[in-house]
Amino acid sequence: MGITLKHELIARSGPYREMDLSGLDRDTLLALLRQMLRLRRTEEALLREYHPADEMRCPIHFCVGQEAVPAALSLLVRGDDYMLSHHRSHGYYFAKGAPLRELFAEIYGKATGANGGKAGSQDISHHASRFYSGAILAGAVSIAVGVALGLQIRKSTSLAISGFGEGASDEGAFWEAMNYAGLCRLPILFACENNRYATFSDQLKRQASDNMCERVTTFGVRATRIFGNDAAQVYRILDQEVRRIREGQGPALVEAYTYRWNSHVGPEDDGVNNYRSAEEMAFWKENCPIRLLREKLVEAGQLSESDLARLEADAAQEIADCFRFAKESPFPDAPDWGSVNLASGAPVADKLLGTQSGGEFDQFQADARLAPY
Amino acid sequence: MTSRQISYAQAINEAQGQAMDLSPDVLLMGQLVDTRAGIFGTTSGLVDRFGPDRVRDFPVAENLMTAAAMGAALTGLRPVIVHQRLDFMIYSLDAIVNWLSLWRFKSNGHSGLPVTIRAIVGKGWGQGPQHSKSLHAWFAHLPGLRVAVPATAYDAKGLLLESIFSEDPAIFVEGRSLFSMTSEVPEQPYRIRFGQAAVRRRGKDLTLVAIGNQVPLALRVATELAASSVDAEVIDLRTLSPWDKTTVSESVAKTGRLIVADPGWRSFGAAAEIMATVAETQGDKLRARPMRICLPDSHTPMSSALEQVYYPSERGMVDAINAWMKS
Repeated sequence: MGITLKHELIARSGPYREMDLSGLDRDTLLALLRQMLRLRRTEEALLREYHPADEMRCPIHFCVGQEAVPAALSLLVRGDDYMLSHHRSHGYYFAKGAPLRELFAEIYGKATGANGGKAGSQDISHHASRFYSGAILAGAVSIAVGVALGLQIRKSTSLAISGFGEGASDEGAFWEAMNYAGLCRLPILFACENNRYATFSDQLKRQASDNMCERVTTFGVRATRIFGNDAAQVYRILDQEVRRIREGQGPALVEAYTYRWNSHVGPEDDGVNNYRSAEEMAFWKENCPIRLLREKLVEAGQLSESDLARLEADAAQEIADCFRFAKESPFPDAPDWGSVNLASGAPVADKLLGTQSGGEFDQFQADARLAPY
Repeated sequence: MTSRQISYAQAINEAQGQAMDLSPDVLLMGQLVDTRAGIFGTTSGLVDRFGPDRVRDFPVAENLMTAAAMGAALTGLRPVIVHQRLDFMIYSLDAIVNWLSLWRFKSNGHSGLPVTIRAIVGKGWGQGPQHSKSLHAWFAHLPGLRVAVPATAYDAKGLLLESIFSEDPAIFVEGRSLFSMTSEVPEQPYRIRFGQAAVRRRGKDLTLVAIGNQVPLALRVATELAASSVDAEVIDLRTLSPWDKTTVSESVAKTGRLIVADPGWRSFGAAAEIMATVAETQGDKLRARPMRICLPDSHTPMSSALEQVYYPSERGMVDAINAWMKS
């Protein structure tokens, strides 16, 4: 009996037993596990440090429980691909291979942060890694469509990857984006992590049906719905779609059903809002993406205790180094507010444009007639 | 006169075509930009020269169009998008306010988006409340955007080229009532830098700062004032963000009198900002209370009879200024 991909049914379906490792080599599977574990341990460490030290003074939308999609993407994206994500950004920042030290320093508001402390967790970007994020949901999806348009016009083989949650599909801009992606057959992957709740609001309080895949298909976007905690399946489907898009087969959406373990934002428990059940949380923790893959790999004899210990040690060392870097880094100096919002020069205009005298103007001419329109 | 005269609309068309000749990165998007009518002539013929990939008709999806321009700019392109009426651009406020204006800031200067947004403001022939709003002050309020309000064909060409080939977003507000007005326009591509006002008429008695389609009106008013021995200096601001505080300040230092003619609503607008800045920096040099000539704090009526009383008229401005000079 397969799992039925509806949030209200998933939570009642017991242990997930459908993971299938066939066709995936050990290096790929270990890399998937490693990336999920790095991300999980990073988020756990940030959660522990957040209070009472209060040195991370910005909203953080933690992604514990949602590691599979970013981990799979991290193995599939190229350096010259572009990725735009929502405010739950850390997984995608990881996925694009942006430097972890600069993520920590950014959250600490330090000069050495990815954005010098101007953006923080929910707005972080790393231009050299072609990674961008932002907190106003469907806006980033729309910009990613523009990236795909630019890539198509430039005849590039790079992709645009848009990471978002099902909440973004409440916004009209999302559907403008789907329409154009389908119309122009743009090279874009839409990676939706459906974690059921927009903050505390159930998808079915906001939408008549959780049928995003059916809806985007009518816009000309190929769509696949998957259980998002099965990292092997997530990898397999994303790999297939990334290949298809690179081959010119047009846009695709993958809707991965997953779950966030923590509050919408910050380390505090938001259970007081009473928006989700203990039963549901128990299902998702039991079917944790890392646990599912780890147990399957052990069962298949592909992961030893020492392999796992090494992955854990590497992650711990990296995280300790990032904390040290962030804490020891200086805060930024006060900027010149008049110069931080605009470029300091215009080299292209300098190269292409000269000045010309002229401009004699006769004010006694008639204004334009607007008619007929 | 050996110089070439072309219209404001032709100047925009020429600037766009020359930009696309100068760089393969320049892209034009908008509803119906690829038609013969071509946005009142400003894009006519461009699709024949540059093809539908670079001159793209766009769905009626203004927010996506803006976001798409931003994304395309991230890949190295220099998109120009156009709204037949500024009012449609309002659908794209999320893209402009939440993303475009702060992109460079929040990237800490690592990433910039050279996107030019052309927005046309109707005036007259019953354009009414949804085809005539000039919201230049809204955009000038936002950090990270540059705002041009060209009043002549010469400026339209130079400022559009400058917008396209600079490194930051520009909001380019065009008065539809200016489209057939001609001025001397060099054939070569050229730039006009933001933040450089033009003194259109020298004078010693008062400083009349004008914006956009108020510039030709202000110049006609100045000619009439001269008949009653009032010598007005007329400054065409040309760009609102940044705006040329130096030129205005030097003029006010000379005349001691300031009037601002702004094609926007009276309250919380560009005129208020200019007057406040002058009051802060050289209020003690003013010999008279400053005056603003704006649209009433009301939406635009359709009826031609009401349009005539809604928009500031030449006669009304002359009378108001003469009375003010005597007060």
